[in-house]
Amino acid sequence: MAAPMDGVGKHPAELPPVNSTSFQKKTRSRLISIPGTRPSVQNGQLLVSTGVTSLDYLLGGGLAVGTVLLIEEDRYDSYSRMILKYFLAEGVVCQHKLFVASAQDNPEDILQELPSPILDDVAIPKVVEQPRLPCEPQDRLDAMKIAWRYQNLPKSALASSSRFGHYYDVSKTMEPEIRQAAKCHRFYLPDHPTQSSNTHSPMLESYSALLKSLEEVIHREGFDVVAPMPKSRNILRVGLHSLGSALWGDDLSCHDNPRHRHALTTFLYGLRALLRSSLSVAVVTVPSHLIQDRALMGSITRLCDNAIALESFKGSERETNPLYKDYHGLLHVHQVPHLNSLANQLPDHKDLAFKLKRKQFSIEVCWKPCIFMILVVLLLLRLFFFFFFFFFFFYWSCFVRYFVLFSEPISHILSLFAILCCLFLFSSQTLSGKSHKSDASPTCAYFSLLLGGKNKSEVIDYCCCHVYYSVALSVQCSEKSLFL
Amino acid sequence: MLTSHCTMLSELLQGNDSGGFLVIQDSCRYSGRDLLRSFISSALDREEVVHVLCFESSEEELKDGLRAPGLQRLHFHNAYSDPLGWMDHSAFTVDKFSFEELTHLVKQSPHSRPATLVIDSLTWILRHVSPPAVCKTLQQLKKGGAVRAVAALLHADMHQRGTVGSVCHLATSVITVSPGIKGDEALAKITKRSKSGKVLQDEEIFSIKEDLTVTIQNKPSHLGHKQADPEEQQTDPTANLTFNLRLSDTEREAKEKLALPFMFSKEKKTALLHPNQGSGRILYEPDANDDFDQEDPDDDLDV
Amino acid sequence: MFTELNSILNSTPDSFTQGEFILLSDRQSDASFLIHHFLSFYLRARCKVCFLGLVQSFSHYSAVSQRLGVSLTQAKEKGQLVFFEGLKESLSILIPQEGNTESQAMDFLRDPAVGLRSLYEFVVSSVSGAGRAPEGPEEWGPPVLLVDDLSVLLSLGVAAGAVLDFSHYCRAAVCSQLQGNVVMLVRCGGDEEEDEGDDEGSAWLLRGLTHQCSLALHVQGLPTGYCRDIHGQVEVCWRRRRADGQHTQTKLFQYKVHDKGASFFARGTSSAVL
Repeated sequence: MAAPMDGVGKHPAELPPVNSTSFQKKTRSRLISIPGTRPSVQNGQLLVSTGVTSLDYLLGGGLAVGTVLLIEEDRYDSYSRMILKYFLAEGVVCQHKLFVASAQDNPEDILQELPSPILDDVAIPKVVEQPRLPCEPQDRLDAMKIAWRYQNLPKSALASSSRFGHYYDVSKTMEPEIRQAAKCHRFYLPDHPTQSSNTHSPMLESYSALLKSLEEVIHREGFDVVAPMPKSRNILRVGLHSLGSALWGDDLSCHDNPRHRHALTTFLYGLRALLRSSLSVAVVTVPSHLIQDRALMGSITRLCDNAIALESFKGSERETNPLYKDYHGLLHVHQVPHLNSLANQLPDHKDLAFKLKRKQFSIEVCWKPCIFMILVVLLLLRLFFFFFFFFFFFYWSCFVRYFVLFSEPISHILSLFAILCCLFLFSSQTLSGKSHKSDASPTCAYFSLLLGGKNKSEVIDYCCCHVYYSVALSVQCSEKSLFL
Repeated sequence: MLTSHCTMLSELLQGNDSGGFLVIQDSCRYSGRDLLRSFISSALDREEVVHVLCFESSEEELKDGLRAPGLQRLHFHNAYSDPLGWMDHSAFTVDKFSFEELTHLVKQSPHSRPATLVIDSLTWILRHVSPPAVCKTLQQLKKGGAVRAVAALLHADMHQRGTVGSVCHLATSVITVSPGIKGDEALAKITKRSKSGKVLQDEEIFSIKEDLTVTIQNKPSHLGHKQADPEEQQTDPTANLTFNLRLSDTEREAKEKLALPFMFSKEKKTALLHPNQGSGRILYEPDANDDFDQEDPDDDLDV
Repeated sequence: MFTELNSILNSTPDSFTQGEFILLSDRQSDASFLIHHFLSFYLRARCKVCFLGLVQSFSHYSAVSQRLGVSLTQAKEKGQLVFFEGLKESLSILIPQEGNTESQAMDFLRDPAVGLRSLYEFVVSSVSGAGRAPEGPEEWGPPVLLVDDLSVLLSLGVAAGAVLDFSHYCRAAVCSQLQGNVVMLVRCGGDEEEDEGDDEGSAWLLRGLTHQCSLALHVQGLPTGYCRDIHGQVEVCWRRRRADGQHTQTKLFQYKVHDKGASFFARGTSSAVL
């Protein structure tokens, strides 16, 4: 036991149960380690999981502590609510503190709907305390025969709730005893009578009350970074449901020219200010499809660190589109964090789709297979003909005479065909409007990469040139081969 | 100091008419301030007294490039450093923009001659004073006699179209500047209203040198077309063909000689009208049976 | 500090044009890397810097500057840097508490109609002490004001006209009176066509600031769409005559932000393409 302890040294209280092999990375002692968190590989930020593993990956490993994730709700608020519940359930399992606020449903209802963690790798919170006693496993009759070196290690190394990210079963709700073990603060707007104040502040009373209540929790429970270090640190997970809806007293979604235009943005500014100075992380959902003013939505997005939008296929014509038959909706990444770093971690793709399976909410790259198939086939054919040609050139030069005649034009005709296909798809995508307007399609990305970002007409010109070039080359080749 | 061409732009910058109100409209793509400064520079060269009410540039920026002899006739009214009176040392605040204040300001100077008032820029004023009040003041200035002429800069893209329109409505001449094709060139659209009510419009390309002289390059709309036309005439589509589309004179003669088979030539005509004796003829006299109307379904009935 | 950008702008920490108003703007992209460039640039140039950080916390700016080789904490201790942390200051006004020493600078949060006069007064008070160093022997160069970013003020309910007044006063005080420099960032969202009509939005603010500035750097996404290897393009526009007599001109570069800097290249010459 001594060896692993040396590595961390001074702060045994902060030692996470996971760090129990001798092969561990030397961590700086000032890094706080809390169950359910891990430092980012890119910039050392403390991350927590959103509860959706693929979303964590998309956000660069997880949500950085002190940041806000904005989820633009889908039309029926089913999937965005799901992600919010995943986020809270992950907090329950990792024994983080929760703060849930809503104006629509009682937070208690949201908490009751939390999905059940898949238990084979998750210990119920009260079990976690037990394995700290090192002698216990030896008493067991069915103790595994393992190397003595590992015998004394706590069992929970394998089945710890402090693991980063879990899977959940949506069809079952979380058992009440797990749920009740978690400490949760609730803010239900109808329970907080708002007194009208006579200040000219742009913020609404409901938002002020929410901010004040959140600040009280942070202050009282010692989530402040500036507060004297308590014995063990914990994370506060803040879930705010459907901000900006009419139930918060906000008229953002009701009018084109809302009276409280700056209420939500001011609140989000205050929220950012609170979170940055505390060990807490927030997920905010906003019914963006109701907000008419895109400029306002843009400034809301910029005041959050991460922003994703869910676009459900329910009720849209995309539901029947065979291209999307495997998915439940599209996921757009509107903002990626660049906290404490110059560059922000841009995702590899922006064409993302999600599907909700029973045991997993998964986000996948929704790529158009045909385009890549064509490109790959084109490449393979080229290679094939190339090697074929050389092989026969050296051995049966007489055969080559006939082969060249056919092979080169064929490959060029194929490439021509492929390029025409690309062109067609590309133009149909750009014409088909909304979904691939400015960022998105892999073809666009491919061409912008190829051309260093010229405009679309130039891309099409380029493709045409390529086609002409291919034709000219194939004609040339066939002419040459005639003279061989 | 201006080039010898007598164009509308140079005429306006010479500013010979009194009681004029010149508006230079610009957008954020091209700044009209240099043109305004060359207006000041040419006014000073004409021995005029110029008062500048400056909101948007400092005294140094404004005077940079102006020639020394005229500078003592230039009166700079600093509304740049404190236009809203946030600090105590304000020379001119935006709420002082009224006819009385401005007349007082202009009359303070020792020169007795009526002066030219330059405003840089109206945008600043229009942002803080209501447009009707600004228009009223401008009209009073135009008529009042205290100033000989008014020239003002206006950032057109900062205001609603109606505001820009009402200010330009008061102006006797409007110059709208926009960036040109080449680096240092700019395009000016000039509209000038004479007192008789005649309206002149023109487009000119100009560039401004470092000493604030304006060089007028050409008139784009006219010269551009003239240059383009002869080239179009020169190109002959039949020039470089692999086959012959042209006729030589002999060929044309031969072609004209040829009688085409279906032409109704003189010979054919006479042959038809005056047939030779002894040939066969058809004689035909219509009778009652010939009065057969195909259209009439009851024709065969004996009525 | 990005050396490539320095050579584009023809300036080094040892010699740079004084009295400039540099406007940074972006649309559907993120120009905040430029703010970090100018912050480290002017700190290296030994200027007295006043930084209005309204968007992020001090630790963020400090961490990024560390990567660029400048220590904000040290600069603060030496008195070179005056850092205004908007997030921290706003909290005491948004959640009023007893015993808080409230600063006047964020007064506009109580009533946005009063404008930004108090913020300007804060700027002047922190900048005007430029020449004399109150404690310590160090003498700092011309004052520099950096703002990140102005569109946050719009989100907090301040009118765009009030922001323009603020920037005008800052320019008059810092650029003209003290011969220092001003760098301001403004961020726009959405499409250009959408913003054309509105009168009080960030696009209008951007136009107004463009009229005031002497050098504008506009960051955009690629017109062809998202690309991982080219993050966008920067349009550099000199709006005043430069020392070498060149007129208003525009140059376009593409850029990619790295972990510790950014590279700028001419269109289509990204290493990912070639």
